Amino acid sequence: MDVEKGKTAKYRKEKNPVAKEVMENLKYFTKTKKILMDALKEGDKTVPQLSEALSIPADEVLYQLMSLIKFGFAETGDIDDMDEYFYYKIKDNGKDKS
Amino acid sequence: MSEKKILEYDVLVVGGGISGGEAALNLANLNYKVLVVEKDLSLGGKMIALSKVFPTLDCAACITTPKVSEISRHPNITIMFSAEAKKIDKLGDHNFEAHVHQKPRFVNIDDCTACQLCEQACPVSVIDEYQQGLVGRKAAFIPFSIASPRAAAIDIINCTLCGACERVCPTGCIDFTQTDKDYTVKAKAVVLATGFNLFDPVKIPRYGYGKYKNVITSMQMERQLAPTRPFNAILRPGDGKMPDNIAYVLCTGSRDKSVGNPICSQVCCMYSIKQGQLLMGSLPMADVTIYYLHIRAFGKGFNEFYEQARDMGVEFIKGKIGDIKEKENGNLILRYEDVEEGKVKEAEHDMVVLSVGVMSNSEISDSFQGESLRLDDYGFINQDDILASPAETNIDGVFVAGTATGPMDIPDSILSAGAASAETTSYLRRASL
Ligand code: SF4
Ligand code: SF4
Repeated sequence: MDVEKGKTAKYRKEKNPVAKEVMENLKYFTKTKKILMDALKEGDKTVPQLSEALSIPADEVLYQLMSLIKFGFAETGDIDDMDEYFYYKIKDNGKDKS
Repeated sequence: MSEKKILEYDVLVVGGGISGGEAALNLANLNYKVLVVEKDLSLGGKMIALSKVFPTLDCAACITTPKVSEISRHPNITIMFSAEAKKIDKLGDHNFEAHVHQKPRFVNIDDCTACQLCEQACPVSVIDEYQQGLVGRKAAFIPFSIASPRAAAIDIINCTLCGACERVCPTGCIDFTQTDKDYTVKAKAVVLATGFNLFDPVKIPRYGYGKYKNVITSMQMERQLAPTRPFNAILRPGDGKMPDNIAYVLCTGSRDKSVGNPICSQVCCMYSIKQGQLLMGSLPMADVTIYYLHIRAFGKGFNEFYEQARDMGVEFIKGKIGDIKEKENGNLILRYEDVEEGKVKEAEHDMVVLSVGVMSNSEISDSFQGESLRLDDYGFINQDDILASPAETNIDGVFVAGTATGPMDIPDSILSAGAASAETTSYLRRASL
């Protein structure tokens, strides 16, 4: 097959269009990521605090937040006084974005 | 466009979990050429995803990873990932022909250095099935950190074809032109090591799995306890709280005719006791309660392991669970019959773990053409002469290993794989006489 190495995605896209749900999922993730990161920029927060501030169900906040930690955008901070909920923050307090 | 290649081996092993891997290794060490057909992206089956094993509390990955790397490096073993044996035909003695279908990975494994740059660049996040849905993963991803091979794969269903992964890949090993492949495999014998399925607790709606976020499965807890865990600590998925009062419901989908599984799953009691002990280690202030009907601690060191959990403070209640309801704060109310007192009681926990049972994975039986593969009453592959030749199936030359025959723990799976490779060897020797 005569397709330039490193550009095969483009070739495939021409043959198989991407499903609408896939693009919607991407949009949803990008939007949620931005909302969560903006909220954390204002200060460290727990999952219930983020849930309340953003009106996103707490289980969804946890899932997305843990994904952001895994992908290297956020990190775990201290635990609250009741030893119940952790605070989460921007990775390296946003200092090192490289 | 699919291409069809003819490949020849001594033995076709279906399944690259711990039993299939062990059987393949034994046969390869005797100089037989083995093809392992694995449906997943990595070797190691379910064992590689576990935290620790009972009753020794050895790290599961520490046992599995050297074994899988030996399998992958063995010169007599060829492995096909994302592949399934779609048709297996016995043409005569020592003469099997299988049709193997392989889905593309869109990454050339041999050139991938596992640098993860594609993962970082990929903008898509989807549910990570390797972390039991507790966290997300990218569409370009390495299945899990100790996967073998440790190489990326592209989840084409969720890929936006943006090309970001290809642009950053330093080795140029991503290839979206890959297509499905079909092979004709000729082999002298077949070993089936297709493993088991876990019971899906959605089938017991009164336990609330899928509806109440803090009701999880034992496999989800297993991931939370593993060093490569999805969260920073043990957290309840509903709101990220560190649980301090966890309940286990044993026999979820085992010994229960009403859900179609009347047999004992053999491992749920012990893995729950193991998790109880591990939880006491990770959350020293937490209460762990195990609701059981019978504790079946039948193996070597098992009863001592059970006693050890009691001594550590795990509470055992002989109780039959009626239902589980959720409170507004996410806590769960368990209604149960205290069997010893003969009373119906209620207890509040902030997290419930359903100790799900073992179900058969009988799909492979559909692949057999002509002579059909016999299953037992529970859908596991039938052992025709369980005492004299435990690995024999009803088809001469087709052997079975591990949990494909029925529920069993890891040491028994490895022993069973040993039996399967020994019986396969003796069958192959007959071919050369
Ligand atoms: S092409 Fe697909 S896998 Fe690659 S970065 Fe884009 S979305 Fe991710
Ligand atoms: S960027 Fe390329 S080499 Fe690196 S992990 Fe991804 S596919 Fe493999």
